Parts: sequence; C-alpha cells; structure tokens
Amino acid sequence: MTQFLADVAVVGLRILMAFFAVFIIYECFASMRRQRRHETPLVMLYNETARTKIPVLCWENAVGRSRGNDIVIKDPTVSRSHFVLLRREEGWFVSDSDSKAGTYVNGKKASFRTPVYIDDKIQVGHTTLQLRRGEEFTEQVRHNWFFSKASGRPSVSSPWLVFLVNLFHLFMAVEICITFGELRVGAFEIWGAMTAFSWLLYAVSAGGFGRSNFEIEAIALFLTGLGALLLVEQNMRDAWIQVAAAVAGSVIYMIILAFIRNPDRIIRWRMVIMLLSLGFLLINLIFGVAELGATNRIYVAGISIQPSELVKIAYIFVGASALDHLQTKRNLFEFVVFSALCVGALALMSDFGTALIFFVTFLIISITRSGDYKTVILAVAAVIFAGILVLQFKPYIADRFAIWGHALEDPSNAGFQQARVLTNIAAGGFFGTGVGGGVLKCYGASETDLVFGIVSEEMGLVVALTIAMTIFGFVINSRATASRSRSTFYSISAICAACMMLTQTALNIFGCTDILPLTGVTLPFISAGGSSMLSCWGLIAFIKAADERTYSVGRLNGEE
Amino acid sequence: MKKTMSRSIAAFILALAFLAGLGYLCFRFFTENDLWASQTYNLYLSTGGGLTNAGTIYDRNGEVLAESDDGERFYHEDMSIRLGTLHTVGDDSYNISTAVQTRFRSQLVGHSLVFGYGLPDSLTALNKMTVTLDADACGKVYDAFGGKEGACFVYNYKTGEILCMVSTPAFDPQNVPETLPDGSYLNNCVSGTYTPGSVYKIVTAIAALEYIDDIENMTFTCEGEKDFGGNVVTCMDTHGELSLDDAFSYSCNIAFADMATLVGADKMQKVADRLGVTESFDINGVDSAKGHYDVSDADANQLAWSGVGQYTNMTNPAQMAILCGAIANGGDAALPVYMEGAEAAETHSLLDEDIAERMNEIMRYTVSGHYGETMFGGLTVGAKTGTAEVGDDIEPNAWMVGYSTDEDYPLAFAVVVEEGGFGFYSAGPIARIAMIESAEALGFEAE
Repeated sequence: MTQFLADVAVVGLRILMAFFAVFIIYECFASMRRQRRHETPLVMLYNETARTKIPVLCWENAVGRSRGNDIVIKDPTVSRSHFVLLRREEGWFVSDSDSKAGTYVNGKKASFRTPVYIDDKIQVGHTTLQLRRGEEFTEQVRHNWFFSKASGRPSVSSPWLVFLVNLFHLFMAVEICITFGELRVGAFEIWGAMTAFSWLLYAVSAGGFGRSNFEIEAIALFLTGLGALLLVEQNMRDAWIQVAAAVAGSVIYMIILAFIRNPDRIIRWRMVIMLLSLGFLLINLIFGVAELGATNRIYVAGISIQPSELVKIAYIFVGASALDHLQTKRNLFEFVVFSALCVGALALMSDFGTALIFFVTFLIISITRSGDYKTVILAVAAVIFAGILVLQFKPYIADRFAIWGHALEDPSNAGFQQARVLTNIAAGGFFGTGVGGGVLKCYGASETDLVFGIVSEEMGLVVALTIAMTIFGFVINSRATASRSRSTFYSISAICAACMMLTQTALNIFGCTDILPLTGVTLPFISAGGSSMLSCWGLIAFIKAADERTYSVGRLNGEE
Repeated sequence: MKKTMSRSIAAFILALAFLAGLGYLCFRFFTENDLWASQTYNLYLSTGGGLTNAGTIYDRNGEVLAESDDGERFYHEDMSIRLGTLHTVGDDSYNISTAVQTRFRSQLVGHSLVFGYGLPDSLTALNKMTVTLDADACGKVYDAFGGKEGACFVYNYKTGEILCMVSTPAFDPQNVPETLPDGSYLNNCVSGTYTPGSVYKIVTAIAALEYIDDIENMTFTCEGEKDFGGNVVTCMDTHGELSLDDAFSYSCNIAFADMATLVGADKMQKVADRLGVTESFDINGVDSAKGHYDVSDADANQLAWSGVGQYTNMTNPAQMAILCGAIANGGDAALPVYMEGAEAAETHSLLDEDIAERMNEIMRYTVSGHYGETMFGGLTVGAKTGTAEVGDDIEPNAWMVGYSTDEDYPLAFAVVVEEGGFGFYSAGPIARIAMIESAEALGFEAE
C-alpha cells in the first residue's frame, strides 16, 4: 500500500512538472505583453499644405509617397521614399533618403541626421510638415493585437519568475533522487549553482542596470537549468560546462546589450566584425579538428570551441541596421558576399547543418531588410545547386538523405539514431519515465543531436513540446514588438536572431525524429556544448534589445 | 518600421512551417505510437526480462497460455499445448516474428500512449490479450505430428478466426533447449511454402471450369503416362476414361496435365494469381509468405507438370486454407486473424459463385466417394489430398486441404507433413483431429 501511494506520488510529480513547465513559459510570455505604455504618438507632424495632423508612432519612420511608408504624403512632388524621421536619445532627426527634390529643414537642405526640434518645418516637394508635440494629437490610434490589452494587468514580478524557475529545477533534482532511490548530490550542486546564478543575474539586471523586466532571462535560465540537470546522470562534467558557459554567456549578453544601446554604433564596427568573423572561420578551417563528420571545432588550451557558434552573433550584427541606412543603401552586395563566405566556410568544414541555419537566416534578413526578392531567389537557386554538388561529392550526406523518412526500416544502421529517438519518445509518453532514468543517453551524441529524444523520454512530450514552443514564441514575440522597437536595427536583429534559433531548433527536432534529414545541430540552451550555450545567450540579447522597455527604465519608473 | 514589419512575414511563415512540423510530429506520435514503442531494440522491453511483468495471454476459452507471476513468465502447464501454440504465443525472445509476445509485447508490458513506459509496476494496467486459438486442438494436433515437420492450419472462413495454428518443429518455451531444431522459429502455416503436388489440382480444376468450354462433357484418357512436348507425364495408376469429377477424385495426373495444356500458360498464370497463390496477405500485421507459380518460360511438358502441382510450384498452407474457405463459402473468404477483438476480418472474393459451387460438388464427391464420410466424425467435408514429389531420395510431402460446409462449423483447413509420404495416410489423420477438435470448440459433437 505504501509502495502504491509512493508510486502515485512519483507519477503525480511528473504530471505536475509538465504543467508547471507550461505555466512558467506562459507566465514569461504573458508578462511581456503587460505594463506597456499606451499607444500615444511620440510627436506629431502637421501638414500645413493639406492641413492634416499625422501621428508619429515609431522611433524610426519612413516618409514618402508610396503606401508602404510609415507616413504617407500624397503629393506627386514627393519621392516614393523621401526621408526618414527618427528619434534617438538626443532628440529627433531627419535623414534624406536620396530623394529627387531633397528635404529641407527650416529652409536648409538636410542630408544625413539633421536635427529637428518642435515647431521646425520640414519641406518636401510642395509639402511642408511642422513637427509638433504628440499631445496635440487627440484622436484614437489603432492598436496592434499585441498591445491592444497590454497595459491592463501588472506584469509578473521578476523575482517570482526566478523563484518559479528555481522551483522547477529543484523538482528535477528531487526527481533524479527518486529515480535512483538515493540522494544524488550532483543534482543538487547543479541546482544550487543555477539558483545562485539566476539571482546574481537578476541582481545585476535589476540593480545594476535598473531593468524592470526579466522574462527573456527567466526563459533562458529555465532552459539552461533544464538541460544541465538532464546531463547530471549522463556526464557531470558536461553539466558543469553548461552552467559555466551560461554564466559566460550572460556576460556576453550584458555586453551586447550595452554595445547596441546606441543602434548606430554598429555601422562603424560593421567591417571589423565581418573581418573578425571571417578570420575566426579561417582559423577553424586551418586548425579545425574533425569530429563526428564535421571539422567545426578548434582546441584552445584543451577547451573545445566552435567558432561558427560565435559567428552566429556577429552575423546578426552585420545583417541588421537602422532605417535611414536601409533607405539609402539598398543593395545587399556586401552582406551577400559575407553570407556566401560564411556558408562556404561552413560547407568546407562539412558542418552543413550550421550552413543551413546561416542560409535561412540570410533569407530572412535579406527579405526583411530590402524586400529584394530577386536576390533571394538567386540565392536559393545557388544553394540548391550547391546542395546537389554536396550530395554528389559527400556520400555520407547522400546516405542521410536516403534514410530520411525510413529510419524505422533500417534501425541497426543508417536509421539507428532516429529510430531510437522515436522509440524513446513513445517510451516517455506525455509525462516521461523520470529525470535521469532514461536509456537514450546510452547512445553516442545523444546529449547534443538527440537531446530532444532525451527530454521526451525522461520528462515527456509535454515538456519537450513546451521547449519547442518557447523558441516559436521568441519569433512571434519579436515580430509583435517589432514596430515598437527603438530602431529597425533592433526589430530586424530580434526577428532574425529568433529565426536563427528557430531554424536550429527545427533542424534538431525534426532531424532526430526523421521528419527532416539528420544534420547534427544543437537544440538551443538544452544540448550539451559550451559554444552553443554562449551563442544562445548572445542571440537573446537582440530579442531583449528589441523590447522597448529594456532601455527605457526611467520612463516606466518615473516620468510616465 | 511598417515595411520591416510587413517584410517580416517571412519570419512568420517560417514559424508557421515550424508549427506544422510539430503538428506532424504529434500526429505521428499518436498514429505510430505502437510501432515506435514495439521496436525490438527497445531497451524498455529487453532489459530486465521485459516479459517478467507482462500481461496474460488467453485462448478462446479463457485458458491461460502465458502469464507472469513474481517476476517470471509461465506458459501453459501442458507441454503439448506449449509446443502447439509456440508460434502464436511466442517465447521470451523476439525470434518468432508471428508471435503475440513479439508483435504486441509493448502492449503486453503495459505501454500506453499517455504514460509510455513511465508507470511504476504497481500502477501499470497489465494488458491481457486473447487469441482465437483453441489450446486443446493445438496440443492434440502437435502430438499428431509425431515428430514430423510441417504445418496445420484451421480457420473459420466466415469470421476469419484461426482455431488451430501448429507449426513443427517447435520447442518448449518454458524450458528452452540449448540447441534448437532448425527452422523452429518459423511459423510454417504463415511463413512456409511447399511444393503442392495434387492439391494444386484445385487451382487447375478452377482454371478448367473457367476457360475450357465443354469441360463438363469432356473425358480424359489415362494410360499411366502421356507424352507432353517430347517428355512424359506419369500417373500413379492407369485410370482409363475419366470425367472431371472422377479425374479429381482419383487425382489423375494425365487428366490435369491435359487440362493445363488446354487452358494454356497465360490463363493458368492468371488464375493462379487471382486465387492468391502468388500473393501475400495480412494476418494481424504479419505478411504471409507468397507461393510460386510461374509458367512464363515453361515448355509444353513443364506446363503440363505445373497443372498437377509439380514443376516449380510452391504454395503456402494458410493461403490454401483461404482458397478452400472461398470454395465452401460461395467464392468469398474472410482473411485469417489470430487476435480476438481485432478489427473485423477482411473478406476476399476469389472466384465466382457458380464455379465455387461446382468445385464444392467435386471436392465433396472426393470425400464421400473416396476418403469416406466417417473420416471427419460427421462433418460435411470437401477435401483434396496431395503427395508432392520433392526429390529423388526424399519421401514426398503429404498434403490435405479442405473445408466443412456445415452452417455452424464453417472451417477450412490445410495440413502439410514434410517427408510424410502418401497424403491420405500421413496428413489425413492430422486433418481429422484438427477439424474435429476445432469444430468441437464451436460446439460440435463428433459421432
């Protein structure tokens, strides 16, 4: 009878944890919608010619005749894209977008970042616009769904989120002990380290930088700890590497946030970052060590590093820029060449999974930046062609394509890994067989490529899908907040960083479950691997930066 | 900002594609769950014995064929029944591919969609499973083989339920010997093929009824041997003038060699394919072995021999039983199943009703006129024996196939005894026991 009750408790805990995971992720995303400023115009443009009031809602606004602009001026003498009106911490500026008739501020020809002040007059073609205060615009503004009811409820308090995450990790540690029927000290060490790390990060974020919101960090902490605790019974050293890499990653995260506080700084650093990245990849090509088919890592003082993971962050830097730069510099040439070199280097390393991640990100960046579908179609054609060549010359890649979709027909050879993942997903059911007790981790590379299977087996499909939906949520959230970012640099970089993670997640999950060919990429935050962890923390900095609240603490706490 | 927003639709499409992928994964999780869970490499099944905590397997009368108790797997207490049901129940290993314990092990050990293998022993709802076999029939039939190798298959051609499925050689799953007899993992009923010999004359007779216009008024002359394409076809006897019915019941080779020649290779092939001789069919997910009939390169003599079931012909016992079931049932027969409560068995239409009725007459006449009605204890049986030559120094394979037409006992059977010698004397007694025992399971009382 006691055995029966104990068993009921064990299963009950697993079911509880599945829903707890869903709850934590829900709270984090829900909290991101709350406590938003009302959608009131930042300033207003008064069209003296047409006598109309135009609300200015964004920090960066394209102004011109065509309908795609943020502010449309119906005047045939105005160019399709005429100028950009943008806000920086120093004030408002006008940048001419190489217009035919030119842009004049108070009668003086404006070029790039000419300051404008309240009551200044901007002349474009036959139209004169006067910059006025936002309060003068009193009509109702239409809301985007994300912000429609956003400000109603108070945001979830950050310490509460951290506590929830800690509690979930504690449950995992307890479950490991239950699985083995004895105290497993390692699990509690990792739990302790993660708990200390999360509160330290919170202290720095809230205390050091005065940031009120902590949702993105809480999600990252949740996933990091989940991955590390799954590793405890597989490889304790790897579990510690996960935690250490996350700490290092959070430092990179802070640095990136500070660096891109000024979204224009990136223009000056762009070339340097590109050259550094290519240099990194070159070092990899020369000193790279072949492991599991790919030559994508180097050893520095005994520590294995994957340069391509860090180049991911640089790639986002290089790809995004502010609106007035986008409007004047429309060709993608520089970026296309940089992308081709990155993808080419990765292909030479036989790291085709990462090459594909870069390529998909390239497509998203190109489309989001320029709407230039010609370049995109050309790039897709080139890559399909290259892909065919790869299949010709790399027989092991062709083998992976051959088994694709038929893993269960050859479970002892070509379909070995995928078949075991599928079987162990079925073994785990909805709620898993218990943290630490799984069998999938006996197989090679399971802690990286097959980790989705480990999560499903030990924690169940509900938790595994929650992880997948979290990354999906990053994309949706980045898109929803895009129009409220302080610069297109933030919007583009957030969307693309989220897409990069999503592509990686898709290749990992669908690769090991035989829905796509197995490419051997990591599952963000969960798979074992220090470099991967660093890059994931780096990438979420862009998502964080796109959130208007990140750099606007003063307004939230004080003025408004 | 507006343009960036509208162009970021690409990101949204990517996200939707991802969602679709997850949806597809979930769909497969639900629809292929058993397939994923029951893979033989699954460590949840093979470690710790796998079966030590598995559900009970019952026969149609609720008799326990296998059960787990206190961490051990126990099979039926009667050794003959253990051996007779081996290929249906299975052993601890995964080697008998047709067995319940191989195919449905994940369900037996309590795997469920929601909890996977995650439930502790005390909470696992052990799945019991019931097979359609009659344990006593299987045990008695096993004994009747007397150590000979072969297969005996009896099933209900209306419902598809298999009542007797015995394959020899077998071994005792309770005390597995160190060295197993060759072929003991193979279920000969489903996976074996044999040279049919005279039982193939059923197929030839159907072809003759379908394609030889005046067959009912024709007579065939048997002088013990006859030349076909420069070589002889021989007969066991000198039968003289014979009608179709007599040719069948006397099993005259010359008459059937003549019929195959008259029908022609193309049509002989067509009939063989349509009757399922060369087809595989599904028995609770197990694909049966395909027989063989190929006269595309046969010369006149070989075509003649193919009509009497020699040449390169091979047939599968279960398939022959299905054909007999179709003859008894007006041309249609249910496909066999051995899991009780499985989906309603599929029905196959093999031949036209009038041809089936005519074949029934011929096969009934063979029993009443030659084998004797008493042989099957009062069941109304139509049958055909066969003695298939398989080599110079080897005794022929003995066959008997047939059916009963009794409304309450719609059973079809196929028995083959390797190196059994003469069909009637070797396969006959086994068929008799199998049919009477199976019919008794349906309420029959033998005279």
